[in-house]
Amino acid sequence: MSILKRNNVTVHGDGDQAMVFAHGFGCDQNMWRLVEPTFRSKFRTVLFDHVGAGGSDLSAYSKEKYASLEGYADDVIEICRALNLKDAIFVGHSVSGMIGTIASTKAPRLFSKLVLVGPSPRYINDHDYIGGFSAAQIEELLELLDSNHMGWSNTMAPVIMGNADRPELGSELANSFCRTDPEIAKHFARVTFTSDNRADLKNVKARALILQCSEDVIAPLTVGHYVHKNLPDSQLVVMKATGHCPNLSAPAETIAAISAFV
Amino acid sequence: MSDDQPPQATAAAAFNEDFTDLFENAPCGYLSIGPSGNIFRVNVTFCTWTGFEKSDLVGKRFQNFLNIAGRIYFETHFAPLLRMQGFFNEVALDVVGRDGRLLPVLVNAVEKRSSDGTVLFVRMTIFNATDRRRYERELLGARAAADDANKALLELNTTLERRVAEAVSERLKTEDQLRQAQKMEAVGQLTGGVAHDFNNLLTLIIGGLDTIGRQLVKLPESYDLARITRAREMALHGAKRAAALTARLLAFSRRQPLASKPLDINALIKGVADLLHRTLGETVAFESVASAALWRAMADQGELENVLINLAVNARDAMPNGGKLTIETGNASLDEAYIASITEPVSPGQYVLIAVSDTGSGMDPATLARVFEPFFTTKDVGKGTGLGLSQVYGFIRQSGGHIRLYSEPGQGTTVKLYLPRAPADAKDETIRPVVDASSDGGPETILVVEDDAELREFTSSALRELGYHVLQASTGLAALEALDANVGIDLLFTDVVLPKGLNGRNLADEAVRRRPELKVLFTTGYTTNAIVHHGKLDAGVNLLGKPYTFETLARKVRAILG
Repeated sequence: MSILKRNNVTVHGDGDQAMVFAHGFGCDQNMWRLVEPTFRSKFRTVLFDHVGAGGSDLSAYSKEKYASLEGYADDVIEICRALNLKDAIFVGHSVSGMIGTIASTKAPRLFSKLVLVGPSPRYINDHDYIGGFSAAQIEELLELLDSNHMGWSNTMAPVIMGNADRPELGSELANSFCRTDPEIAKHFARVTFTSDNRADLKNVKARALILQCSEDVIAPLTVGHYVHKNLPDSQLVVMKATGHCPNLSAPAETIAAISAFV
Repeated sequence: MSDDQPPQATAAAAFNEDFTDLFENAPCGYLSIGPSGNIFRVNVTFCTWTGFEKSDLVGKRFQNFLNIAGRIYFETHFAPLLRMQGFFNEVALDVVGRDGRLLPVLVNAVEKRSSDGTVLFVRMTIFNATDRRRYERELLGARAAADDANKALLELNTTLERRVAEAVSERLKTEDQLRQAQKMEAVGQLTGGVAHDFNNLLTLIIGGLDTIGRQLVKLPESYDLARITRAREMALHGAKRAAALTARLLAFSRRQPLASKPLDINALIKGVADLLHRTLGETVAFESVASAALWRAMADQGELENVLINLAVNARDAMPNGGKLTIETGNASLDEAYIASITEPVSPGQYVLIAVSDTGSGMDPATLARVFEPFFTTKDVGKGTGLGLSQVYGFIRQSGGHIRLYSEPGQGTTVKLYLPRAPADAKDETIRPVVDASSDGGPETILVVEDDAELREFTSSALRELGYHVLQASTGLAALEALDANVGIDLLFTDVVLPKGLNGRNLADEAVRRRPELKVLFTTGYTTNAIVHHGKLDAGVNLLGKPYTFETLARKVRAILG
């Protein structure tokens, strides 16, 4: 049970097949609050927080284990095994798209289908590959994170919790939305934005749906096309929704696309 | 109705104008953002801060005007937060202005929804946080400085015990070194005094034996004569060995007269290489590594050669099964920091380094600590005097140099000699062949000034034997009187140390003042500052060291008289 506690796993619904919802960088399982409930009637839905986010066990965090996305993928595999899942549907937002991809190559029988919302196998441009960011831009991001500026670390937690001037409100709000430990968030950002998992795509056996927003700063359209081209059995849906979080900004469109696929 | 109240028709227009002004020129930036995320209204304040026209902003997403980190965090953190809780407050971001400059801002955003819950638009309020960000930076800097200070203090406290122990041990070490230096000084005083008195006695003994020898050759051969001659030779041999010993003691006590002059050390080593080869024997290889562009050193050539031979002997004895002796030269600077680390009074500056290394048995620290003490020896009884390194030490110190030994058991020994660099304009005076002066006597008149009556008598009779006319005086004043009374005196031969006020140097100065053509020869067991500055002869001064033999006296006197 410690794995389920570690990742703050919550399970709903009672379908035969399971849907595992994984949040991306910057939030927690609340990310799926407008989408996941719809699927409870037909599926057993599994929600969790990556270690370092939301209600996860912060003491389980280790810089060594989570020095690459593989550490997070291992957690996904452990959660699924703890719940005895097989042939499940993995729904991953943002960086979790790649985390699920890695998990499915390491444990191919775990997932029969992958839904990747705004995935990117590499954020930094590389020759012909357009990831959306130059190396210098990512360097700028990482430097800014390292500079420990209040805007990014010290006030990050209170900002996300709510009102910096009223920390007592913070703890209340913290129990509802997107908590994140600033130090861990910094490291997660580094791992995410310097990752390169392009080579993993071709090893995926599961069928995949790529949900691509039409105007996404984090994962631009070119990346969506790249993932589609390199995932052996995949289909690409370019949504009308803009931004990086259609699961929040366009839940209906997101639900419709996923439903059609599953 | 007051005069301030506008007419009904214009009241609405005035009201609109007032509100427009409130919006456009508010002390904060206002952005209205549509449900799809695009800006549809922006106020003048925001445009003024960022340098953009309204038309640059309308239709675009707010994120587009953030730096890269802001864009990423906005998409991944703040946009989801706004969507989930309907607002966010005081998010610290950097807006990139039209000219590329960053404007630090604090952003509040709130969703405006219709009664059925659909989002109508997002109202974003933006505060200029330039000053606040600067305070934050200063605060962070101050906090970091305080953290560092705390850490340093903590470090200080945790290491206090160790540092006290280190300081105490350092202190004890310094005291040890000081004690050692004081001991060397005291031993030097003692040996110097003893050697000085011995020199006077040895001069007498050797002089007497010389006289006996000269008389013996006039006697007819007989068995008794042969026995007396043999006995004389044995006595003379013993006396000369004793004289050599006192010379080494004087060297150690830094009281030997030194004639320092600029030397080319590489040439000097080359000059003694043959002798070193012979000293080392066949089983020890000898190599010299001469540094190019070596400075010249100030030192006494003969004594320095002795030092090298001394060290070679020590090295050879440390390598009974063979090995290698290397002599290297180089230019060196002893800086203040180095000087501070040693107890000897050495001046910082430029030195010529001679490093003598062997591959021998080496020494343990206890031995190393005592090697310079006179009569300290690790050699078997009878094999060494224990004066070799003492002599080296005394010589180097007296020359204004510095000596350092590096040795570990089984690792060999390196002796580093630092000799003061000669002034750049000094003339090279190395390896000047010694002209073998004649030991003939002559008809000149010599004034012998010596307070020791026996020695005075010996010297006088020796000079008379050589054919010189001799006058005697026991004090400086008596000598001056004799000088005035006898116009024909050619040479003043005086002891440096004289009783009753006028020492040898004063006497010589006065005598030469009265008789400028007068030649002067000094003699001394050890030297004092009167004749020797810091143990070095004044330029042009003639000195005959005690003990002297009939032969050396004869040569020196003849050489000076010309």
